[in-house]
Amino acid sequence: MKRLIFGIILTLTPFVVAYLYPLSVPSSIHSLGEFYLKNSLTSVRSPEVVTSILWDYRGLDTVFETAVFFLAIMGGLAIFRELKLEYSSWEEFPLPVKVVTKVTAVLIVTVAASLALHGQLTPGGGFQGGSTLAVAPLLVIGAVSLASLKRTGITLERAVLIRILGLTGIVILALIPLALGGYAVQNQPYFPSEFLGTLLGGSLLWYNIFEFLAVGAGFTAVFLILAVAGGGRDD
Amino acid sequence: MILLYIGAGLMIIGALCDLLAGIGMLKFRNFYLRLHAATIGTVGGAVVPLIGVALAALDMPGLPGRFAIAGASFITALIILLVAPAGSTALAYAAHRSGVEGNFYFDHLRGEER
Repeated sequence: MKRLIFGIILTLTPFVVAYLYPLSVPSSIHSLGEFYLKNSLTSVRSPEVVTSILWDYRGLDTVFETAVFFLAIMGGLAIFRELKLEYSSWEEFPLPVKVVTKVTAVLIVTVAASLALHGQLTPGGGFQGGSTLAVAPLLVIGAVSLASLKRTGITLERAVLIRILGLTGIVILALIPLALGGYAVQNQPYFPSEFLGTLLGGSLLWYNIFEFLAVGAGFTAVFLILAVAGGGRDD
Repeated sequence: MILLYIGAGLMIIGALCDLLAGIGMLKFRNFYLRLHAATIGTVGGAVVPLIGVALAALDMPGLPGRFAIAGASFITALIILLVAPAGSTALAYAAHRSGVEGNFYFDHLRGEER
């Protein structure tokens, strides 16, 4: 009875709150927000305002944030540098689970790539795509084995290498406008804004691709280390 | 118009499956039987109504982006149909490995009769 009353109260609370404090449309937009909304398409050449803020208006912030994330993962890998990474194989799940996991992993990689490559047009972007990408090896580690992951060519060394290449690409992209006479992380006059009628958002597309590689490989490296540091599966 | 009714019917079937799955989760005795109820909830309660949503969306000419809605629903239904059985197989296998008891007549994984 007590639980029933508690449940009824819990169910009714949102409705009562919504009735007492109805959401209202704000009468004005913050002037900075209005600026971004009005100028994103014409000055950055990207309809996705969040990505334009992240990689263009506030691009320097994001470059530093990527560097911080890079250092965090490198620090984590440095702590575990004594750990010997064995791509062990363990007792596997029944065949349907393994097959479905492999099919799902391919699907996840596709979705991740589409999130990253459409980042300048639709919600998503490099970080989101990269995080999604890293789920695929995690699934394979959990449902099949580390040995099987190695057979597909994903190793810790390669993940770290791709991570370094990703960050190097971002730094080079940030410095290209500086070399051409602009300022660091500048976008528009220096990068192509359109290809075959599709808006590229100038440098946004390239930043997203490199961030995608860096984040995906970084999380993959961390998952590999954690899978081994946790002792693998105890069979 | 006929697709809309078929879609609505599938959505109602899905809601009933979800209800039955919920009752099953509460009433069934052990883990393996509850897994059965959970799979009714995912396949009957998610795949079937998603196909219903797709059919209904195709039959609404006024709906903006109806082909996108229908396509996304079909793909999602297909992926759930693919993933849900694998998930429950993995769960059942893991539960059996860690010694969760069920009232089996014959235990194929261990190969012994009860």
